[in-house]
Amino acid sequence: MAEHVLVLVTAVEPGGPLRDADGEALGAAQSLARERGCEVACALIGGGVAPAATEAAERGAGLILTAGAPGLAAFDGGRCVTIAAEAVGRAGARVVLIPRGPDVLELAPRLAARLDGASVVGATEVRAAGDDVVAVAAVFGGAARAEYAFRAPGPRVIGLAPAVAEVPERRPGRAAPTVALAIPEADGRVTTIEAAPDVSGPRLEDAKLVVAGGRGLQDGENFALIRELAQALGGMPGASRAIVDDGWASFEQQVGLTGKIVTPDVYFAVGISGASQHMAGCANARCIVAVNTDPEAPIFTFADYGIVDDALDVLPALVRLARERGA
Amino acid sequence: MPAVDASGGGLRIVVCAKQVLDPDGVNSFAFWGRLKVGGDGRSFDTGGMVPRIINAYDEQAVEAALRIRDAGVACRITVVTVGDEAAGAILKRCVAMGADDAVQIVDDAAGLGDGFRTARLLAGLIAELGDVDLVLCGRQGSDYDQGTVPAVLAERLGAALVTMSAGVAVEGDDEGRALRVVRVTPRGEEVVRAALPAVVSISNEIGTPRYPSSRRMMQARRQRPERREASDYESAPGAVGVEVTRLIVPDVQGHCRIIEGGSAAEKAERLMRRLDDRGLLGG
Repeated sequence: MAEHVLVLVTAVEPGGPLRDADGEALGAAQSLARERGCEVACALIGGGVAPAATEAAERGAGLILTAGAPGLAAFDGGRCVTIAAEAVGRAGARVVLIPRGPDVLELAPRLAARLDGASVVGATEVRAAGDDVVAVAAVFGGAARAEYAFRAPGPRVIGLAPAVAEVPERRPGRAAPTVALAIPEADGRVTTIEAAPDVSGPRLEDAKLVVAGGRGLQDGENFALIRELAQALGGMPGASRAIVDDGWASFEQQVGLTGKIVTPDVYFAVGISGASQHMAGCANARCIVAVNTDPEAPIFTFADYGIVDDALDVLPALVRLARERGA
Repeated sequence: MPAVDASGGGLRIVVCAKQVLDPDGVNSFAFWGRLKVGGDGRSFDTGGMVPRIINAYDEQAVEAALRIRDAGVACRITVVTVGDEAAGAILKRCVAMGADDAVQIVDDAAGLGDGFRTARLLAGLIAELGDVDLVLCGRQGSDYDQGTVPAVLAERLGAALVTMSAGVAVEGDDEGRALRVVRVTPRGEEVVRAALPAVVSISNEIGTPRYPSSRRMMQARRQRPERREASDYESAPGAVGVEVTRLIVPDVQGHCRIIEGGSAAEKAERLMRRLDDRGLLGG
């Protein structure tokens, strides 16, 4: 099999489209494939992958590998690694790119270990270096970046950070050869006994506007102001890890290295100091607005607009203005 | 061998821990623009001003192990680490917290940031310890944030893998045991059952680890961790998976426009107008 740069997409919703992150991975793969003089392959593992497979071909993948079965809509580590390993072989892949998502932390190193390769996750940049590739990823929660070289003999498995590349344009009618991958039985070693809440509503990761609060809110009850402003602006509320740990907001709302990575047009950081672990979750926002009483707070280094004042005075005014605007 | 012995069918738990540069220290250096890369181009030069401490997620993995014992499960808890001579210092704290014994693999020949090498050494040690039922790791190191070790360990040991755990309980008895693990997912918590042997990575949601008493700290100070050499498990020195070849400290140039005004309401109004002018508020 001629070499392909493989994009590995897991947990495809039954009949669902590609996600933005999947498209970005296809874009990153195209640049690498050009450098390596090869084509892009896309493996799709999920509940029902036909529409996503069509889309991947229309967005430039020259080989499609599919594993669609009802039980695969949710990520199943043991099975996914086995399926992915076959995909790597079928695609003759030396470089595997995995779109950002909650499964990467398990999938990337496991796949690498099984094939005697190596992995880097959270890559903000992947580029050709001679015959090989190098990956760049944040360290110390974003205080610096490290450039990684690969030393293992097997495939280079790279989990991508948001916004590493543009989504390639879709050319309707473009098709690619499709290979069905073998789907192994679940090994039953890890079984779900209580599923996570089925939240089909809007996701923080997709929000165009996020209003996030931190300890500057002074009291858990004041998180209501964050929710009100988010609602009035048609956005979603977010939180720093500190106030999630305090129980003022829920884990699902946590933005940062250990929470969600968001990429809205506008990110309000209200009463958030701006530790790099938090910025790791929001640095890719188009515009960051900071409200903080401390003019020396690190958040002002990252912000586009800043208000040095008490969050509890600024928030009610913003809520009122946002509501007037919406009315 | 250790003074504590939970023989007779107890659960054998290994906790993997590592020493890291205090991330809060590194971040405050970064904030003041004083974070420098050393002469090798791939590690920080903090002038010895930032202490090396136990990775906080690993400390929480020790806590997770101790809670299993607190729940009444007979177990022996061994903490293991890989690193240079000084890296063994964290083991005393783990023993003071309540771990039964500790082993250090001294590895002076590691590549930088290579979790694959670390996992390979740990897998060799864990196989040697024999009959290990459960391996607990922190979800990631707070230095390189890669989270490689638990996944690679599970592959190499042929064990079940559960990542991002907020709590681990042992169900069943000596005849047949399994784990009940609460996982943190982007949609909220889920609960899974995992067969043994298993590798479980612990996330910060598990909560604050216990603080060892000063009496236990004194006792732990006298206990010497067992020692192994990296060459016992891996013949070649240097990286086997990945290697950090360069560190880049971003030059953060602040470009923030501070919105001035006589009152909070006035500042809020000016801010909203600017955002609207730039078309950032939609509608």
